[in-house]
Amino acid sequence: MKEEDQTITRRKFLKTAAAGVALGLVGGPSFSFAKEEYDLAVISGEPVAATKKALEAIGGMSRFVRKGQRVVLKPNMSFARTPDFSATTHPLVVATVAQACVEAGAQQVLVLDHTLQRAELCLERTGIPEACKNIPGVHVLALQERKFFGEIKIPQGKVLERVEVMKEIVDSHLLINIPVAKSHSATGVSLGLKGLMGMIWDRESFHSQYNINQAIADLATVIKPQLTILDATRALASGGPGGPGEVKNPNLIIAGIDPVAVDSYGVTVVPWYGQNFKGRQVEHLLIAHQRGLGKIDIDQLKILKEKA
Amino acid sequence: MRSFIQALSLLLFSIFFVFATYKLPNWLPADIYLRLDPLLGMNAVFAAREIIARALWALVTIGATLFIGRFFCAYVCPTGASIDFLDFLFFRKKKRSGLKVEVSLRRTKYFLLVIFIVAALTGLSLAFLMDPISLLTRFYTFFIYPLAITLINLILDLLRPLFQALGWVTLSHLHYFQSVYYMTAITLLIVGGIVFLNRFVPRFWCRYLCPLGAFLSLISPLGIFKRRVNEDCNECLKCQKACPMGAVTEDPRGTRLPECIQCRTCAKVCPQNAITFPASLSLGGEYSKIDFSRRGFLYSLAGGLGMGFVATQTPFALKQSKHQLLRPPGAIPETEFLRTCIRCGECMKSCLTNTLQPCLWESGFSGLWTPKMDPRLAPCDQNCYVCGKVCPTQAIRSLSLEEKTHAKVGTAVLRKEMCLVWAENKICLICDEICPYNAIVFRPVEGYRRPVVVPSKCNGCGFCEQRCPVKGESAIVVVPNGEIRLKEGSYVKEARKLQLEFKPDPGDDKFILEESGFKVEENKEKSTLPTEKPQPKKPKGFL
Repeated sequence: MKEEDQTITRRKFLKTAAAGVALGLVGGPSFSFAKEEYDLAVISGEPVAATKKALEAIGGMSRFVRKGQRVVLKPNMSFARTPDFSATTHPLVVATVAQACVEAGAQQVLVLDHTLQRAELCLERTGIPEACKNIPGVHVLALQERKFFGEIKIPQGKVLERVEVMKEIVDSHLLINIPVAKSHSATGVSLGLKGLMGMIWDRESFHSQYNINQAIADLATVIKPQLTILDATRALASGGPGGPGEVKNPNLIIAGIDPVAVDSYGVTVVPWYGQNFKGRQVEHLLIAHQRGLGKIDIDQLKILKEKA
Repeated sequence: MRSFIQALSLLLFSIFFVFATYKLPNWLPADIYLRLDPLLGMNAVFAAREIIARALWALVTIGATLFIGRFFCAYVCPTGASIDFLDFLFFRKKKRSGLKVEVSLRRTKYFLLVIFIVAALTGLSLAFLMDPISLLTRFYTFFIYPLAITLINLILDLLRPLFQALGWVTLSHLHYFQSVYYMTAITLLIVGGIVFLNRFVPRFWCRYLCPLGAFLSLISPLGIFKRRVNEDCNECLKCQKACPMGAVTEDPRGTRLPECIQCRTCAKVCPQNAITFPASLSLGGEYSKIDFSRRGFLYSLAGGLGMGFVATQTPFALKQSKHQLLRPPGAIPETEFLRTCIRCGECMKSCLTNTLQPCLWESGFSGLWTPKMDPRLAPCDQNCYVCGKVCPTQAIRSLSLEEKTHAKVGTAVLRKEMCLVWAENKICLICDEICPYNAIVFRPVEGYRRPVVVPSKCNGCGFCEQRCPVKGESAIVVVPNGEIRLKEGSYVKEARKLQLEFKPDPGDDKFILEESGFKVEENKEKSTLPTEKPQPKKPKGFL
């Protein structure tokens, strides 16, 4: 009896102690957001610090990356412009995400885009390969040949039935979209969803053959990044997508799992062409929302706003 | 020893050729072989009627030839090296009896030289047709280079499964940009013909046709090294048979000195070791007469003048100042350009985007192989300015990036009847999206925002024409109208004088919006259906 009591007590004690230790571990302030499940993390600050903090805020890269996985990052490096034009994703943001993937155990990180201008110039000018060159397992590639693309079906497509996408994203475990915030003369803004057009072979048909806004939504039903990190450290508020145009400096990194929500928040960070808009006013976002691809009303989202 | 130097020279030539890309450092003269060529230099200087700084390099070759003799053909000329190598490959075992009409054939090159020089004096650049360095550079550009890329890509494709299996990511995705050129077949035929002529005699080209060789042989008699045969000669005639230039006379002790390229093959094959090439200052004495008749000279003189005249007449020439071609940025005014350009193809090789293409008859006889821009194929990249950097005669001026940006090559013109937006009310903005200078803006017209070209911002780079999704001909084309062609002076100043602005101009779209009198009410949400037509008064893509 006595002994039994003791054991029980000991067991109880151990349990309590373990819980205490566990609490101590998770109880730190840096982990509090993960528990609360935010839809979006909006972090202001310098590119590297803000990106790091944003990744932390949505639960850390280990929430997405398993050991030995192949990861594809999709920044915008379609134009042969230096980062100050804000037509391409900031190289340090890309490098920080790539680094986090490697640290979380990714075996291979491919940074891919189908550029609009000559690939070597785009890679050289955007500075993304330069920023990533010392991270082991990270490869920055511009895929410009049809042989690197394969056709997939779009079962829910309204205007597109099939599309040729980079084979690498079909083969990879994880896709992280890292768009830059910029205006776009056909789609209003070019953020995450529009940026997915950089993963397909025939970009031009979106403009000439189809309703581009419907086509973007169609594409979003098959290319589904698990994470979207919007680089709004700078924003090309006019003259997009290629620039030159008015570059604003919101100094923000917006990260989230819901691609529509991230874009919808991104619409609000600067006035585009001198006017303030909401996500609902961007046609392709509204279509994507209506087709159940994500939330569009940011006042209904749980947003963590912090400074890095 | 000679083969080694030859191979080295060919290799050097090839390396310089490979280096002619947009990354070419400023200090590296990728066109050095062309600069050293006195025939090309004279051709450009005579035709353009002015001293061209880069052509002065040719004085090095002239000086060396005056001092040493006609060594260039045997040791330096990369075309000679190629001919020797291909000769060894294809015709080594063939029996070649030689040609009976040798003496008269040998004159041909001098006649050609006279024709080219006279044509140049009339203002017609023609030497490029047969100048060996220009010829070989063209052959490299239009044939060897694209072929090499094709082969490399083929090998990469074949090995790709292996690379993928090994997990070599970069190699798995490696693919080189394939350049294409319009005149590949013609260039190949010409060079193939030159090589085939070796079927008759070794170095047929060098013996009978090469005008550069002709010029060098004219200035070689002063050279200090001359073939000498001593008494040991047993007249076995081995040297006569072996001489690739046919420079040994019937009597093997004699030498046709202007033909001798000092390759020393004769000394090598002589069983008696009777042949030496001592340094001596003897002038003329043994120097045999150049095979040149007065009649032939007069004929070729007339030929050159005739060519010069004919080239200015239709159908050999276009009507004055009616050319329709886009020339590379920095190309000097058309008349001077045609006179100065030596058609080596360096600009087309180095062109980053492959927009520079050789002309066949587009600008007449005097414009053969001259570079033109084909914006439907590829645009001129705004960060590249290599074409002028590699131009050996500066027919395209070597400019800084800032100057090159202002060297307007033409103006984009929108063909509304073909434009998807103007003609079919489609949402297309590709020309605007890609334009690096914001020279295309959207203006509300008839309920739609439609693209309009701002000519003062367009420098004719051609991105719009290349990207236009209309099938076949582009709905937006660059025409030479408004081009700036300066022989000297600053393009930036000229552009400013003309009130042109090729700088990034932020917020242009905003300006257009205000102009249209449009004001957006803040926070006004619309629940319009997505299928509704785009609102003309808002930027495209917003509801």
